[in-house]
Amino acid sequence: MILQALKEYYDRKAVDPESGIAPEGWERKEIPFLIVLSAKGTPVGIDDTREMAGRKLRAKTFLVPQGVKRTVGIAANLLWDNPEYAVGVVTKGNPDRTREAHDAFVKRIADLGCGGEAIPAVLRFLKREDKIALLEVFSPWKDIKESGAFLSFRLAGEKEPVFRSQEVVKTVSSPEGDVCSDGHLCMVNGERDIIERLHPAVKGVRGANSTGANIVGFNLDAFRSFGKEQGANAPVGRRAVFAYTTALNTLLGKDSRQKLQVGDASVVVWATKTCDLEQQIADIFGEPPKDDPDRHVKAVEGLFRSLKNGAYVEDKGTTRFHVLGLAPNAARIAVRFWIVDTVEGMAYRIRQHFEDTRIVHGPRDADTLPLFRLLVSTAVQGKADNIPPNLGGDTMRAILEGLPYPQTLLQAAIRRVRAERDVTYARAALIKACVNRETRRDKNNKEEELTVSLDEKNINIGYRLGRLFATLEKIQQDASPGINATIRDRFYGAASSTPVTVFGNLMRLANHHLSKVEKEMPGLAVVRKQLLQEVMCEVPDFPAHLALADQGRFAIGYYHQTQKFYEKKVDTTNNKEAVQ
Amino acid sequence: MRGFCLEVTGEYACFTRPEMKVERVSYDVITPSAARAIFDAILWKPAIVWRVKKIEVLAPIRWISVRRNEVGKVASPKSDGIYVEDDRQQRAGLLLRDVKYRLYAAFDFILPEKRGQVHNPVPGWLVDKEEVETLRNPDVRQDETEAKYAAMFERRARKGQCFNQPYLGCREFSAEFRLVDPVAEPAAPMPETRDLGWMLYDMDFTDLANPKPEFFHAKMGNGVIITDRSKVEVRS
Repeated sequence: MILQALKEYYDRKAVDPESGIAPEGWERKEIPFLIVLSAKGTPVGIDDTREMAGRKLRAKTFLVPQGVKRTVGIAANLLWDNPEYAVGVVTKGNPDRTREAHDAFVKRIADLGCGGEAIPAVLRFLKREDKIALLEVFSPWKDIKESGAFLSFRLAGEKEPVFRSQEVVKTVSSPEGDVCSDGHLCMVNGERDIIERLHPAVKGVRGANSTGANIVGFNLDAFRSFGKEQGANAPVGRRAVFAYTTALNTLLGKDSRQKLQVGDASVVVWATKTCDLEQQIADIFGEPPKDDPDRHVKAVEGLFRSLKNGAYVEDKGTTRFHVLGLAPNAARIAVRFWIVDTVEGMAYRIRQHFEDTRIVHGPRDADTLPLFRLLVSTAVQGKADNIPPNLGGDTMRAILEGLPYPQTLLQAAIRRVRAERDVTYARAALIKACVNRETRRDKNNKEEELTVSLDEKNINIGYRLGRLFATLEKIQQDASPGINATIRDRFYGAASSTPVTVFGNLMRLANHHLSKVEKEMPGLAVVRKQLLQEVMCEVPDFPAHLALADQGRFAIGYYHQTQKFYEKKVDTTNNKEAVQ
Repeated sequence: MRGFCLEVTGEYACFTRPEMKVERVSYDVITPSAARAIFDAILWKPAIVWRVKKIEVLAPIRWISVRRNEVGKVASPKSDGIYVEDDRQQRAGLLLRDVKYRLYAAFDFILPEKRGQVHNPVPGWLVDKEEVETLRNPDVRQDETEAKYAAMFERRARKGQCFNQPYLGCREFSAEFRLVDPVAEPAAPMPETRDLGWMLYDMDFTDLANPKPEFFHAKMGNGVIITDRSKVEVRS
């Protein structure tokens, strides 16, 4: 189904002339250098097509004849290749292999049998013995030799490279005959076709082999079945192979807006009909770029607005939305998750995720957090590499399918809070979301859901103890202003998991702090005492242990109360004037 | 013949897609080939061939992604084993979780004359003089009927007997089975209608040297998938 959906996406894009997807037999490739030739076959210059894009040099992308799979053997591309194949530069210290490679390259061009001006000029140039000496004159040649970048040819006076000339385009694009009646059954579209032995590589999955990786590949004995070799293990026809690999490569391309990174998985999204959600999902879940930090917020607002206006309901649920998560494994690609649903359902569930993670925050933080921020807050030292490998994929799946978040997520968040003794905005949002989804799912649960900001009527013991802990810390800070290590640094872990061991001591210390505050700021002492009474009145006893969900509520109670302490007082006089 | 209904449950299942066989991705539902294997595990004789007629999906389709350590070499009787450290391969798998199906199948009874060659006959030195005649045509008996095998299957399925533990796609995912009467114990399949694309129907073993896969276009209507060869088109 995955290959079939990709093939349908390719068919949809191929029909659309504005999409820019490669037609059959071609692919999009960046060719940095073009050797300019005269009609007689002498080189007159070398074009450098690279331009500064940001801080990196990026070459121009051309529509080139589809490349062959690079293996240990000799296989030449048509009219473009690296210097070893194209002009015979010895790069790996093996002159015999270089000569074979170059001969193969020349043979492929000669076999085209094209007339015109361009191809004979190229052939004349390639047959010369002193090619490299002639090319060394030009300045970009040093770059080419060092980097081994791709080369192609252009006729002086023409604007386009040789492979875009009319004769070549006609020869490459003509299909090799239609449906083969003596072929085998293709399992993707159910028609007969020649079965592809090796599938082209998929580039763009972060962490995989740089030369590309395969979803469908059987390179070791242990992976074969029924004595079949290579592609015969999974019979996919030539046209279907081209369609799905081109579609996937386009979706994973450098400039694609339909891909994002979640943990170690690269995720691509597409729909059966063009829709806004396709383009926005990367912004909704991904980290916004540094030069446009509002993109995430705008995308989320756009989603909420579209749901309110009913923009997704129009198609009556016929448009399907696909999300494919791919993880690298050396030269192979594993499918982490595959979700298909209607656009409306997907949008609704994404909104539910943002509603669940909504929590009160400081004035400088954004209202909603991208997924990356949430995941990285559970990692050791806040490094993306330390996110547990399956967590990103499982969390994404939970969001898009409306399932409860993975248990690992709640555990990781609480573990980080205890290790760093700090309930940050991201961790609080995550814990609140996990606890609330669990509460909602468990119909026997009598607990109430956690609210966005402080809930003074919540009598859950974990929540109350969290509030109590925050109050005690504030009292200590009032008594000794500017103190470096509060009770949070010493006692948070024990208070959150085994309250009875710690709270007795803390209440005793609080009395000393309160008497110190009374001496200096008696009014403040009264306010604090009142708050202490209010929180304590629903705490019957300090429990010996708190379960994980209650430890989560402890963290949220602490966070809510702390946010309340830092809230600026609302100016009531101004409001009265506005009302009048 | 009337056919039988087995209710099959399992914690994990992996009906591997042929194209994603290395990093395993499961089909959404059980393949007719895996369903046939469950019936084969309970009873199979050269006289019968199981045909799966209908599959009902009773539990919602849930997934789990795992990564397992496996080996990259095929064991051979000539070697002294595989050393995992040299040939370790980590393969990920997208498996199904908590599956429950009702499989409806009937068998085709094959007449003794039409049965295939026995590939491992009893060697000559094990046969007694008196038995030579009977072993020449072991299947030509007075009681070769369809009902005999039907009774055998029903008895075995009711008792829970099987030649090998039935499994859901891969041998490590064992299945629990129960013979049920769909009229006496009705169970509602899950109310989902989906187009499942081209699924593997079974392998065609008529040419043993080159088994060929067969595919059919699977459509789930209200949790029911029809796999009767007379009703769906199977291409190979």
